[in-house]
Amino acid sequence: MNEGGNSRRSFFQKAAAVIGMFAAAGYTTNKISKSTTSDVGETAKYANDAAMQEQAVMGNRLVLMSESEKSQRLQELLNCHNEEIS
Amino acid sequence: MSEKHVDESKEAAEVIASRRDFLKYVCTSGAAALVAAPGPAEAAVEAANPDADVTVAEFFQGHFVLMSDAEKKAAIARLEKRYTAKYGKKTTVSDKEAPDGVLFGYALDISKCIGCRRCVHACVEENNQSRNGTVIQWIQVMKIPRGNVSFSADELDKGYPEQSRFGNYGVQVGGNAYHPAGLSTEGAQSYYQDETVPDKDFFYMPVQCQQCEKPPCVKACPVRATFRDHAGVVLIDYNWCIGCRMCQLACPYHARRFNWGEPNLPAEDMNPKTHYFGNRPRMKGVMEKCTFCVQRTREGRNPACLEACPVGARKFGNLLDPESDVRKVLATKRVFRFREEFGTYPKFFYYIG
Repeated sequence: MNEGGNSRRSFFQKAAAVIGMFAAAGYTTNKISKSTTSDVGETAKYANDAAMQEQAVMGNRLVLMSESEKSQRLQELLNCHNEEIS
Repeated sequence: MSEKHVDESKEAAEVIASRRDFLKYVCTSGAAALVAAPGPAEAAVEAANPDADVTVAEFFQGHFVLMSDAEKKAAIARLEKRYTAKYGKKTTVSDKEAPDGVLFGYALDISKCIGCRRCVHACVEENNQSRNGTVIQWIQVMKIPRGNVSFSADELDKGYPEQSRFGNYGVQVGGNAYHPAGLSTEGAQSYYQDETVPDKDFFYMPVQCQQCEKPPCVKACPVRATFRDHAGVVLIDYNWCIGCRMCQLACPYHARRFNWGEPNLPAEDMNPKTHYFGNRPRMKGVMEKCTFCVQRTREGRNPACLEACPVGARKFGNLLDPESDVRKVLATKRVFRFREEFGTYPKFFYYIG
């Protein structure tokens, strides 16, 4: 009975150790993911994306097209489209 | 003999007691593990859930464009089931194809735009964008000083190619040749907090995806998750996107937005009429952008931003149809080119009426 009890006990000990390890790993992963994807960090990233667009637009120029440029642009678009669908 | 019997039963009692302690410990540890690690906990719950195969199948599905009709139907059914359960309302996911003989184009009158940002809010609501903290907006309205206008429309057609004794190289002189006619975006700002709009000293210029005919984002995507449909609209298969953000870097207008975290879409605000490539709820780690409201335009309706505009500054239509609004704008209005140096052939035009 003792031997049986011991082997069962050692099995249970191992099982408990494994579960403990999983719990610790899960806890650590949770902590890490929480710290790297905090709301503050995310908000800054979203704001940064919008700021990049502002930078891309700033310092440029909307250039007025002449009549010939307009028709040329339209023709180019239609040609590109026809090539795409053909 | 009786002493031995007593000892044995004592030992047995200890074993039982320690087993009970152990089971208690296991239960406590298990519960602690589930609380500490919600990911595995969710996985465990999903494993017990008969619908868990929905997400697994979604994970392993291929590119939607390359799927067979049966696979598409199954993918749509999975999404509808998941969204309906998640948001608590009957959600439809359409996969309606773009109509033939159509090339969608958009035009925006910057002399009419008053910067009220109703288009932005309509877009957020229509397209199920993330809000409350992790805000994603596909349209950004820029406020540009009115003094930046530097052209004389009278001079516009007075330029001519220079004749030279060394040869005619078509160099433009005269007219606006040395003073590019147009509007500088110098000093543009997007985060204005005006109580009333419009400010008389400013122009307002909403910027969104320009739906380029030669889109660099499509070329940059390593997995072809983003592509151009035959109506000229650049779309994304959110399930196929790997979140590398190459397309975001490639876009000259920075019109793409990345889901850095799990999108925050309240169930009560969710628009249940969705399209696979359009406004269906996105997930963390994927790219998104304006699709010209593909869920609307493929059914012959106008984009939400156009419908929301109180001053009629936005025009949408088929570039192949000479009678469409956008073709009439091109034919009769003063139209601008913007960042043309990239050669991407945008189908979004800014004009002055």
